[in-house]
Amino acid sequence: MKRLFSAALLLSAVSLSACSTVGGDSGYGFSSYSAVNVRRVSVGDDTLTVVAPRPWNRYRTNRFWDVRAVEDWTLNGPVLDGIMFVSGLKNNQAVVYQRRSDDQQVPVFRSDMTPPEITAMIESLFRVRAGALEFRTLGIKPRPFLGTNGFQFDYEHLDGDELWRKGRAVGAVVNGRLYLILYDAARSHYYEAALPDFEAIVASAALRGS
Amino acid sequence: MFKRGAALALAASVTLSACVQTRQFADVQFTPPQGNYKLLVLRPDVSVGSLTTGGMVEPRADWTEQARKNIIAAIRAQQATRGGNVTIIERRNELPGVTADELAEVERLNYAVGQAIVEHKYLGEYLPTKSRRGLDWTLGQDAVRLGQKTGYDYALFLHAEDQVASGGRIALGVLGLAGCFVGFCAPNVGGQEQLDYASLVDLKTGEVVWFNVVQAGSQVPGIKFGELRTPQGAAQMVDRLLGRMKPGYAVRRAQGAR
Amino acid sequence: MCMRCAEISRRSLLIGGGIAAATLHTGVAQARVRPSEMVPLVGPNYKPTERDEIGLWQEMERVEEEISGSNLLIKDPAITGYLQNLIGDVGGPAAKDFRIYLARVPEFNAMMFPTGFAIVFSGLLLRMRNEAQLAGVIAHEAGHFLRRHIIRSYRDQKRKTDIFAVGSMLAGIGGGAAGAYLGDYVQLAQLGTLLSLFRYSRGMEAEADAMGAKLLENAGYPPVEMANIWQQLIGEQQASARYRGKYRDRGFDLFASHPAPETRMADLRADAAEVTMPGKRYDDRRARYLSTIGPIRQTLLDDQVKLNDPGASQYLIQTLAQDGWNGLLRFYEGEVWRLRNRVHQGDDVRAAQSYAAAVVYPDAPADAWRWHGIFLMKKGRTAEAKAAFTKYLTMSPNAPDAAWVRQMVG
Repeated sequence: MKRLFSAALLLSAVSLSACSTVGGDSGYGFSSYSAVNVRRVSVGDDTLTVVAPRPWNRYRTNRFWDVRAVEDWTLNGPVLDGIMFVSGLKNNQAVVYQRRSDDQQVPVFRSDMTPPEITAMIESLFRVRAGALEFRTLGIKPRPFLGTNGFQFDYEHLDGDELWRKGRAVGAVVNGRLYLILYDAARSHYYEAALPDFEAIVASAALRGS
Repeated sequence: MFKRGAALALAASVTLSACVQTRQFADVQFTPPQGNYKLLVLRPDVSVGSLTTGGMVEPRADWTEQARKNIIAAIRAQQATRGGNVTIIERRNELPGVTADELAEVERLNYAVGQAIVEHKYLGEYLPTKSRRGLDWTLGQDAVRLGQKTGYDYALFLHAEDQVASGGRIALGVLGLAGCFVGFCAPNVGGQEQLDYASLVDLKTGEVVWFNVVQAGSQVPGIKFGELRTPQGAAQMVDRLLGRMKPGYAVRRAQGAR
Repeated sequence: MCMRCAEISRRSLLIGGGIAAATLHTGVAQARVRPSEMVPLVGPNYKPTERDEIGLWQEMERVEEEISGSNLLIKDPAITGYLQNLIGDVGGPAAKDFRIYLARVPEFNAMMFPTGFAIVFSGLLLRMRNEAQLAGVIAHEAGHFLRRHIIRSYRDQKRKTDIFAVGSMLAGIGGGAAGAYLGDYVQLAQLGTLLSLFRYSRGMEAEADAMGAKLLENAGYPPVEMANIWQQLIGEQQASARYRGKYRDRGFDLFASHPAPETRMADLRADAAEVTMPGKRYDDRRARYLSTIGPIRQTLLDDQVKLNDPGASQYLIQTLAQDGWNGLLRFYEGEVWRLRNRVHQGDDVRAAQSYAAAVVYPDAPADAWRWHGIFLMKKGRTAEAKAAFTKYLTMSPNAPDAAWVRQMVG
């Protein structure tokens, strides 16, 4: 979600440079992404660790706009696929930065939320912040996660670019904090392509110190 | 994963730069089509307008029509030199055996993939996992099915705009983003500009095997680049865009070794 | 032309820091246009003859081709046919030439394109209280076409400087970066050319209002309903601000400092008084409107409420409830409080009350039973919660969350 803001930054950065904009793929220079290698890494607020089955790309967070508990990864670019980690989101916090006065808001998390409430929060996230015009819940079911009673949420949504995207989130509330791994990708090809990665990452997830 | 900024940034970048550039990327295993191949060119998206002194763009029906004819002729001529059979369709319902909706789905995915390529290959938002791996995106089974149903080997997506937003993008914008309520009832920034991009999809594998962007722009109205409404301008554009198609890295290295 | 663009461009300019603030004042002092002065400037089968307009038409024909093939449209023939008939009734001399599309966007807006096709957002259908109001919006849009506003506005803007263009663009970007609302960034650049056409002077809006009032009267609808639309919109926006605590906290309200909607509403009342014929019977055809919209009303409510704009949603629900509360409306009232989720202000208690009230009605949707059950469970009323969950599963055995709910029942 944080990359909504990056678009504006990117815009201003690029428009000031003449000629250099049709750049090369040197692999150097400014990029908002850093590599995630195949080893145990911590995500979000560092209380959650995971292992990816192959290298992914991590979106660099910005301390002003980003919620510390949230971290985004992608394989082919966020337009096509991505994983959002929520690790240790506290009571009364939202998964995105927003002002109290915004008309449309993503509901804040509450420690006593049940899975349908958390999934409703995710639905509003897509509707309010990602321009989803249609959103379908495909399934909410119990699923163990981080050694506790968690849930799995399957959904799909039609966005403003006319593309259907599909997603799965696995989460649990541990000690009053939200832990969630959410995968969202273009429904055509991309969702199926990286679903095994997502499942492996979920299976590898562990809380630090447990 | 909630953001699509590439095209905007690309378009904005064009307005302030005063030069012509092309930069192509290919799948590492890519060999430019040669011989008896069948190429499908999907709905070339062409718009041409004139720039008024106030910085507004005036769509010119006659110029757009002229440019479209020129570009199509240039593509045919250019591909004929390679031996390809080219079919150019103008509407989604012109492909026998493929419904308009099926084709629309391929186009929509291609649009998103194109954005990802532009953002992560051209605009500096490099993805470490794709560094030095050539072009590594796909349209998947939707494109393979299109190939199976139609018998084409390759699909070429082409977008050419000279100063005016193209119809498809306007439609998407109005519906999807509903620009007005977002607070973006804003006119375009002035400046002569031309932005073209093309992507070639292998319909046997679904892979995007080759991608190229041409941009030509000037801040100063009145300076003209590759005017698409002249046959020469269109041919030049097509040549810049498609003419110098290079093989992928692995193929080039193998050729070099021989 | 875009029904609400005047308001919206003002909002973006405010957010953007007033770069183009000077332009705000153009046309503010516009006098009311009298409906009697409004004669259509185009007849049936209008086709452009001048170069710039021909270019615009050709561009728009391709836009229409794209729009008609979009998967964001609601294509239910009962509703699209209804809209087509309405524009046929209030479209004046061009009535038979218009095309109308319904897009699934939960916002109050409608727009007319230069070639005579219109887009109505689904959010409009949630907000209109009768057929006369919907016909009023459509008549207003038809008025833009009949008065040839797009090409006139376009030619007018060509005369202006590009400094204005740059200023507005920056304002728009500023608004986006500030997080005002971020939909799909990508289309913005391409939208520029088109959207520049959507910005009309107040004078043109006043013309379209006056023309619309006349068309509405001719079709036998009470013309005053056009003024009522604006009254409702003002009410909704005030409620939206109030529920976010903006009114009191900042002591500033967008619409308090800009009297345009109020002025426009007053002018529309004057228009209505002018065109209304004493003794003539007018019909707002409310029953027909409600029965046509009925099948998609839950979808419309759902799309609105889940945006979590509690003031606007609650205002809309209460407006609909003036015709009597039912299970659907009580359920969505509960949803509004649940999503606003300010526990210290008792939102959870209000939500629980609304769900409990909803399930008393025979038309309560299955979802009401599920949420009723969840809120009972949270209060420790397990037995009642299980009964509610069981009822939910009976009503909706294949619900996507049935597995989770079954686990709750135990």
